[in-house]
Amino acid sequence: VSKRKILPTRAALTLTPSAVNKIRCLLQDKPEYIGLKVGVRTRGCNGLTYTLDYTKQKENSDEEVQQDGVRVFIAKKAQLTLLGTEMDFVESKLSSEFVFNNPNIKGTCGCGESFNI
Amino acid sequence: NNIAARQRFPGPLRSLQPISTVSLRPFSGAASQQRSDLDEKVHLTESCVKRLGEIMVEGEYLRIRVEGGGCSGFQYKFSVDADRTEDDRVFEQDGVGIVVDQDSLEFVKGATVDFSQELIRATFQVLKNPRADHGCSCGSSFSVKL
Repeated sequence: VSKRKILPTRAALTLTPSAVNKIRCLLQDKPEYIGLKVGVRTRGCNGLTYTLDYTKQKENSDEEVQQDGVRVFIAKKAQLTLLGTEMDFVESKLSSEFVFNNPNIKGTCGCGESFNI
Repeated sequence: NNIAARQRFPGPLRSLQPISTVSLRPFSGAASQQRSDLDEKVHLTESCVKRLGEIMVEGEYLRIRVEGGGCSGFQYKFSVDADRTEDDRVFEQDGVGIVVDQDSLEFVKGATVDFSQELIRATFQVLKNPRADHGCSCGSSFSVKL
């Protein structure tokens, strides 16, 4: 087996400035949590949906993304799904939500919550 | 719940009917005349009232519209509106209000409007809609009971 040059890995997930700000705000008064954890779950009319939770510790299988001082962990099951995704935080008068701009997905539900790969 | 519904076009006096007929489920066009007055309202949860109090300025209402679309046939649309037309019904509670036009009201009466706050999103939702059969998991789209 020939030696292969190891390429620097691209971050599995990038955060927009507004997402970084929001995560920082969320974690500010919660010192017991070290970051947020992104996962996927089978749900919705299009197969999969994103989940987001606070996390207290990094698990071995988690992929860690660190950007501008905030830490986001990606659950093992979600790593392939999320590769190259941009995580954004969109806020309007009536709603505010984290949006995942995922280049891997083939289709989404009308509401944008559920998607397939 | 002290929702004060300002009704511009009051219907027939349903309160005079005996309770027993009111509790019957309407199953035909004629029977639907006997629907109870309670069902005509759109209810607001505490969190919805609280959130509306935070974001709305005087004279602004949360407008709920029902449109065709979404994966289940119909979907809810929320917007902020300062104008009301003759066609609108207003449901007020603790100083905040929502407006629903007559056409949309047919699909949301008896339902509850909630402001749900989760980590991933915070948004207004229509819950417990007696007119909706089953919906998309996101709650924004639904199909109508026939």
